[in-house]
Amino acid sequence: MIDHALSSLGAQVVLATSCDEKHPPENIIDGNIETFWISTGMFPQEFIIRFAESMKISLVTLHSYNVKTLKIEKSISDDATDFEPISEKQLEHIEGHLQTTDIPLNGLTVTHLRFIVTSGFDHFVSVHRISIE
Amino acid sequence: MVKLRARCLLVGDPAVGKSALCHMFRSDGAHFQKNYSMTAGVELLVKSISIPETRDSVELYIFDSAGRETFVEACEKLWGQPSVLCLVFDVSSEPSFTSCGRWLERVRAHCPDSHIPGVLVGNKSDLSSRREVETSVALEWAQSQGLEYCETSTKEMENCEAPFLTLAQAFHASYQDRLQTIQNLT
Ligand SMILES: Nc1nc2c(ncn2[C@@H]2O[C@H](COP(=O)(O)OP(=O)(O)OP(=O)(O)O)[C@@H](O)[C@H]2O)c(=O)[nH]1
Ligand SMILES: [Mg+2]
Repeated sequence: MIDHALSSLGAQVVLATSCDEKHPPENIIDGNIETFWISTGMFPQEFIIRFAESMKISLVTLHSYNVKTLKIEKSISDDATDFEPISEKQLEHIEGHLQTTDIPLNGLTVTHLRFIVTSGFDHFVSVHRISIE
Repeated sequence: MVKLRARCLLVGDPAVGKSALCHMFRSDGAHFQKNYSMTAGVELLVKSISIPETRDSVELYIFDSAGRETFVEACEKLWGQPSVLCLVFDVSSEPSFTSCGRWLERVRAHCPDSHIPGVLVGNKSDLSSRREVETSVALEWAQSQGLEYCETSTKEMENCEAPFLTLAQAFHASYQDRLQTIQNLT
């Protein structure tokens, strides 16, 4: 199953370290690649997605720009605590193109996913869409 | 309306007035430290600046870093990925100006991927009879390095906000620019 808007499944962004009111973190889960969340300076940056109920996930796909290193953590608690690292990625920069990153999760069950951008190819990074399978 | 955050590195030779300058800026001119108290590590000061003619602001996280060579290596570990640079020398000390090239190299080694807006500050402009570095020479070097230039006298409370405002504006401009780029991608 590929969902097009995580928000339509009841997912929410419960925390984000940056907020430009014109480019809010909800843009990450609205299924639209044209809308985005942008960081407003300094690293690390992070955001946490909460699912409506615990989900079995085999693949996370992230569309972003200027992200250099990304860490992903999961939680199975109800209140976004006890995160455990599940993946760390070095992304490539392609001038003028969005980065598409697949992160296989082998059917992990989660209630929250936390994305931490520890460095960027620029002062500002953007995340356009996250989809899961 | 957006609030940006910038990691502002404040570097330069010992005793050029880095700590005096950022304390003066943070306290809005209320406080000049006459006695030299050497910085032995990194001191963090936070202050928000409004960008004129917008509703936006930039919160500067100023990393006031020790000038003394003994401490520099330890300080560098705390610099992280800087957003903007404030490089200070003392206009009454030629050697402090000569060192600026080395400071700039050090900082640039910390940001291999992105251009960082910077300002060169000639401090202690009140010491006119002891001046060793002419404005035109400093300005020319700053321009050759892609830096803005300004002179300050922390002692006389002269121009102390200018370097930080310049940096905040440059950072804000690069944000606008980046937004444009990203909007054009999709
Ligand atoms: N005349 C004059 N003296 C100044 C000015 N700014 C700072 N000073 C003096 O210069 C001395 C050194 O100032 P600091 O701000 O401690 O120098 P620093 O660059 O932070 O030095 P380190 O921490 O060792 O790297 C102090 O005695 C200050 O009072 C100025 O504009 N004019
Ligand atoms: Mg100092």
